[in-house]
Amino acid sequence: MRISGRLAWPALVLAVAACSSKTAPIAIGLAGPFSTERGQSMRDAAELAVAEINQAGGIHGRTLKLVVRDDSANAERAMAVARAFYADPTVVAVVGHLTSGTTLAAAPVYNGGDTPLVEISPSASSPELSSAGPYTFRVCPTDLLHGSRLAAWAFDRLHAKRAAVLYINDAYGRGVRRVFERSFTARGGTIVSDDPYLLDLPSFGPYLRLVLQRGGADVLMIAGTQAGAERILPALKTVGWSPTVMGGDGLTGIEKSSVDANGVYISSAYLPDRPGAANQKFVAAYAKAYPGKMPDHRGAGAYDIIHLLARALEATGPDRTKLRDYLAGVGTRTPAYDGVTGRIAFDSSGDVPDKDVVIGVVHDGHLVTAGGQ
Amino acid sequence: MSRRLQLNTLRNRIIGGGLALLAGIVPIALIAVAALGIIRTTMRQELGVLQQVAEMTNGITSSVSDEIRAAEEYLIAPSANDQRTFRDAAASVYQYQRQLSAIPDLSPKERDAVTRIGTLQAQVEVDYHYAHVLADLGRADSAIAAAAEARTPTAELIAAVNDIGAGQAARSTATTNRLVAAATRERSIVWVVLIVSVVIGLGIGAALVRSVDQPISVLVDAAERFADGDLRPVHVGARLPAELEALSGAINRIGSRLRGIIGEVIGEGSRIAGTAGDLSAVSEELAATAGEITTAMVEISEGAERQVAGLDDGTRSMEQLGKAADSNAALAGRVAQLGAEIHRVAARHRADIAAAGTTLTDVQEFVERSAAQVEELERLSLAIDDFVDLIKRISSQTNLLALNAAIEAARAGERGLGFAVVAEEVRQLADSSAQAADDVTETIRAVRAKTGEVAATMKAGRAKVGGIGQAAHGVTQALDEIVAAVGEVEQAAQRVVEEASANAKATADVVTVLQDVSGAASTHASSAQEVTAAAEEQGASTEEMAAQANELSQAAERLRALVEGFTV
Repeated sequence: MRISGRLAWPALVLAVAACSSKTAPIAIGLAGPFSTERGQSMRDAAELAVAEINQAGGIHGRTLKLVVRDDSANAERAMAVARAFYADPTVVAVVGHLTSGTTLAAAPVYNGGDTPLVEISPSASSPELSSAGPYTFRVCPTDLLHGSRLAAWAFDRLHAKRAAVLYINDAYGRGVRRVFERSFTARGGTIVSDDPYLLDLPSFGPYLRLVLQRGGADVLMIAGTQAGAERILPALKTVGWSPTVMGGDGLTGIEKSSVDANGVYISSAYLPDRPGAANQKFVAAYAKAYPGKMPDHRGAGAYDIIHLLARALEATGPDRTKLRDYLAGVGTRTPAYDGVTGRIAFDSSGDVPDKDVVIGVVHDGHLVTAGGQ
Repeated sequence: MSRRLQLNTLRNRIIGGGLALLAGIVPIALIAVAALGIIRTTMRQELGVLQQVAEMTNGITSSVSDEIRAAEEYLIAPSANDQRTFRDAAASVYQYQRQLSAIPDLSPKERDAVTRIGTLQAQVEVDYHYAHVLADLGRADSAIAAAAEARTPTAELIAAVNDIGAGQAARSTATTNRLVAAATRERSIVWVVLIVSVVIGLGIGAALVRSVDQPISVLVDAAERFADGDLRPVHVGARLPAELEALSGAINRIGSRLRGIIGEVIGEGSRIAGTAGDLSAVSEELAATAGEITTAMVEISEGAERQVAGLDDGTRSMEQLGKAADSNAALAGRVAQLGAEIHRVAARHRADIAAAGTTLTDVQEFVERSAAQVEELERLSLAIDDFVDLIKRISSQTNLLALNAAIEAARAGERGLGFAVVAEEVRQLADSSAQAADDVTETIRAVRAKTGEVAATMKAGRAKVGGIGQAAHGVTQALDEIVAAVGEVEQAAQRVVEEASANAKATADVVTVLQDVSGAASTHASSAQEVTAAAEEQGASTEEMAAQANELSQAAERLRALVEGFTV
């Protein structure tokens, strides 16, 4: 009784919406912290992709439309955004969320109920996301890959034996930190310290001083975000310590910030200087659309996702379930999608295990591929 | 009939009623079982979620308390053990929080609380960790101050955990209410089905009782009506159970049989009465005819007597026969009690009458022959008249001649004297002839008068004989009718053999007597007198027969009176 009732009215709304909008635009949700730079880069690339698709004639004559909702990178806010998308029958898929924390928090909303909705994140890398549900996808490698690649870079390339870890105390930070520490110690390195932080931490000074008090470290691993890094890098100067700094893709954007981030190593699923005609075309189009800007891994991911969704919508039409089933078969039932971020082929967890990460380094305001890769 | 499964027998109706009740009770049982199943499944599911949530919230609570205890202890007396406990406890809070988040059936409010727990735990952990770092750096006061920062998120964390607990309590209440509502609904359905089943069962029972009661009372009434003599068919009306249908059929068959018998008896009675009436009419006719025959025969006898001397003997014989007939009639008085023998006698009498007819024909021929002779005589007498006229004419001429001769003789004188004598003699002869002729004429006239008388008598006799023939024919016809009537009487007598059993003896007597009559009558078969005798005998017989017919009609009346008590 309850189940059928619950099932009936959204289905009805969906049917009515489908009938009344044969020519209306197809709506795709876009969720992220758009007041921040990382969110803005995601949105810019997504809008570029939508414009390209609509210019090429849309989906069987219907245009694509982005429905943008800001989650402020906050888990609770992300759930509210997810519920709003879920309840809107015109929304066939959601590009987002941007961070692991928000994507994880929103996953039960998207995967629950009778009309589940695809969330496909460009940049949420938490390993926990693999088991978040059949409607949760991402086009980026997990923290496992980021953490292990960074550990290998530190130990093998930089010959670091001692590492200090600062991690943002959320799903992303804890995930990257855990994998990094495990990989680094497995190679024979030592973790001198691992300290959690939140952005309201009074000061990073005590953490850094204690590292020094313990004998210092060869690398400082920041399993956090650009915002954290923007405080940590100046703090290093304050305490008079200059280790090699590295971090996960959460740091992306630091290269353009006002702090001196030169020489910071950042793992990323995408770098604009990656080879390939598709990427070069994308970067050129992005630069043309947003003069003076370069796309990052979030934007490139969102760009790939929009084009992949367009391909799926061509095949299935605007149907949430059919769309999910199509996406789950990309790389198995249907050919893998070769996007600007590389080859997208989903496994049963909605992850892209074929995708690799590269280590970039901040050089004069740009994140470029680090030498020797 | 038997192929169609119908509620046409009491047995089937009772089985049908039982099945209908069963059809009501089985769904009740099924609904009850299904309801229990649903309630059990729901309870298991809800309780499972409640249990999981309880385990996790308990885990979070205890982990948080471990975390805070270890963190505070570390601040008092730093130890690696406390540090480890603090970090492990913090890690397990995240773990519980993740598990809690993975439960699919959480309400949005609960999910918010779970997310908040993660955020607050991160805050608590960072606050304490920061305090620990400060402590490690030897800044104890700052460390305590930093630790104090953790108190607010800690309180909020506990509140969030409590929110989930409250949510679960509300959820548990909602579940209970839902289960109660479901149980109430199921109970209502069960009640409705039960009431419907009871109503149907009562309806079937009442219909069953009515279907038995009403026909049985009708059948009882019918049986009582039969006892009172009302044999009209039983109309039960509605369709009956097969058993009562059979009973009703049997009662109707009994009624029909009785009706048939009574009807037949009444019919037979009427027919007997009719036949008896016919019989008496025929008897009267027969008697009249016999009387006529007798009269005719007597007239014949008288006519014959006047005509022929020999007929006197006949008359005497007739008288003798009449006497014999008297005695026969006396015998026949007993004979007439049964029709069957009359039939035989009548048949025989027909032969007798045929014989009498033959005799009559002989008589007729004789009379005819006599008449012819009389006519011949009359014709001959006419010839004598002519002859007499001739003689008269000859005698007149002769007389004239003699006169002439006498004149001639006178003229001749003497010589004519002799001749005158002869002439005189001739004239005298002529006178004598004329005289003789007159005598003859007179004689002839007398003879002719006599002959005319005889011829008239003969004509009357011939007419009489013809009348006898007709009468005999009438008798034959009457006998035929008697035979037919007797045949009917015989048939009727056989049908009413029970009622007519009293007649059997009489019939036997009649048979015996008739045989006697037959014996007696046969001795008179060859003569016309036998006709008279038989006719008289018959007259007597028919009287008896009339008497018998009267008795028969009386018997028929009694029979009718007997069966009038029945209504058919």
